[in-house]
Amino acid sequence: MSSLIRSYGGVLAALFGGLTLLWIIGLIVLPQLNMIQRAFIWEARDGAAQQAGVDLERAYQKIATLDYDIRAAKRDIERGSAPSAAPSPSDPFAVSPGAPSPGGLASSETPDKRIVRLESERTELQGQINPLKERFGRLKIEEAEASGYSIKNFTTMSPLHWRIFGMTIFYAFCVTLLSFLFCYPIAYTIARTQKEIHVAFFMLGIIIPYALNELLRIFAWTMILANEGILNSALDTLGLIDLESGEAIRWLASNGAVFCVLMYTYILFMIFPMYNTIETLDKNQIEAARDLGASTWRIHSRVVIPHAKPGIAVGAIMTFMLSAGSISVPGLVGPGLHPDWFSQIIYRNFFEAGNWNIGAAQSLLLLVACTIFILIVLRFFRVGIQEIAR
Amino acid sequence: MSMTANTAMAASTPRRGSSIAWSDVLLNIYILIFFLYLFVPLLIMIGAAFNVNSTPSITDWQGFTLDWFTGEVDEETGRVIAKGLPQEDRFLQGLWHSVIIALGVVAIAIPLGLSGALVLTRLQSGSTTFLYTLLISPILTPGIVLGVTTMIFWRDIFSVEAGLFTTMIAHSTFIASYCMLMFMARLQRQDRGLEEAALDLGASNVMVFRRITLPFLRPTILTAAVIGFLQSMENYNTTFFAIGGSWTLVTEIGSRMRFGLTPVINAIGVIFIVITVVAAVAWVFFRKREKG
Repeated sequence: MSSLIRSYGGVLAALFGGLTLLWIIGLIVLPQLNMIQRAFIWEARDGAAQQAGVDLERAYQKIATLDYDIRAAKRDIERGSAPSAAPSPSDPFAVSPGAPSPGGLASSETPDKRIVRLESERTELQGQINPLKERFGRLKIEEAEASGYSIKNFTTMSPLHWRIFGMTIFYAFCVTLLSFLFCYPIAYTIARTQKEIHVAFFMLGIIIPYALNELLRIFAWTMILANEGILNSALDTLGLIDLESGEAIRWLASNGAVFCVLMYTYILFMIFPMYNTIETLDKNQIEAARDLGASTWRIHSRVVIPHAKPGIAVGAIMTFMLSAGSISVPGLVGPGLHPDWFSQIIYRNFFEAGNWNIGAAQSLLLLVACTIFILIVLRFFRVGIQEIAR
Repeated sequence: MSMTANTAMAASTPRRGSSIAWSDVLLNIYILIFFLYLFVPLLIMIGAAFNVNSTPSITDWQGFTLDWFTGEVDEETGRVIAKGLPQEDRFLQGLWHSVIIALGVVAIAIPLGLSGALVLTRLQSGSTTFLYTLLISPILTPGIVLGVTTMIFWRDIFSVEAGLFTTMIAHSTFIASYCMLMFMARLQRQDRGLEEAALDLGASNVMVFRRITLPFLRPTILTAAVIGFLQSMENYNTTFFAIGGSWTLVTEIGSRMRFGLTPVINAIGVIFIVITVVAAVAWVFFRKREKG
């Protein structure tokens, strides 16, 4: 900090320090803490207290309606019934009390009688209010007592959801591993290409699909995998299936389809970091190893891969994190048809069930899984956090 | 250096047996397949944008059309015959939302990233690693978690409902980290002697920053702004959770994809691809010139 102050003076240094602090505290730490706090607060929601609240509310509404009716009846007595008690000759339509009035629901009873009836109804309801209030308060307290800090948000997660969580992590791991295997030869080839123009073409070849929006990459695949899509049409042309008679294979609604599209969508996040590190490798080292009689396998396992470790680590971390946390691919490949992805369960808890705390707990689980993966990768490749993301 | 590498390669070539040539052939075939895998789906998508068929397809070709780009409206009655891009108000509105968000993100993320980079490069203490980890953690956090935390946080603490603003904040959180990495890379190449000299010659601190540091960082600020803007525009996973009832171009594409496929999305895709190709060519050219 002192070096910062020396170069830019107290004011600017304070500004930079302040902005950094604002970013750390306001955008990173506090929101995460807030989520963690929610994850560990259990909201008891069996609905009993809510129902009692609704009942109470309804009773109050009824009383209010009765009050309104009573007031209306009283007004009738003051205004409408008073002249009718002494019918004015100028008003031939006025009816004496007791006489059947034309139309109207309350025609059969006098306002006085009506008031008495309404009053008694009101007293009866008023009597119900207190027990209802008590019950509501009691249930509220019970719920509040059952609520509070606990790990119930995690322990009450259904076995099915745990299995989906496991599957999501497993699939993300497979995507990462396969991406590495598929991308390594490509990254190596591009990094070792000598001719500038070839490098330029290779770079274009990976940048264009990489920079294109992921939804469009997904969209291209849904077109291929759709029931009436390219793949089924191709099989139809080959005579393997008959589309006309409805033999279309349903590719979309499966974990396999999600897996394939995840691969396609996130594979390129593996290439760039690997390419960047392999490119910095002194080519003479490879030649030296070859001249000394190392096999291709040994050159890669002893020279290239050790050098590319930071790049592989970054690629693996990014690919894993993106596939494990993807909502776009599972949400859009055969929407609603295939088994859930963990991200979709989180989404549902937030936006459909309204269980924010459970959703927070599940987000935390996902975050912890990714953090553990990062730590394992860093340990496995023996790279420090400082070396990555460079 | 490349000379020696070339001669070394030339020297070793005769010693390689035919088995190595075979492996080269295999490698080339593999590379071809890999790039086909990358590009064939995109070509299919481009093709379907020009097909009359209202289900995106290239196998069921019903004729060439540009309707999905331009739309077709009956001149006399004003009735929409084919719904193309100009008739899709939500896409245009979404594009507008995306641009607002992305501009806000650039305005927030650049100062934050620059401050973080300056503090980190000048900090000489044991806490650097910790601070660095903290500041790049948003990049390593799944996008949906960022979206969720921002959404809950702003509603719990400031009663701000999810919408364009929360999306802007959520994007800024991690885009600032990318900006910071770019600034750090640049700052590490900075000759600090210049600043010292200016100070010795009596320049004020503010002047040093304005006349030496900022001009040195200007290219990076530009690159970071462009990349940050594009990242915000393209983002789906974070936006999906933080956007609430509103929408951006990308979430709108997503919700249209849920309700069935329409060639209008292909048309948008073609526009995206054209922009991407132009940008990528420009970038590769720029990079080559910078290197050479």
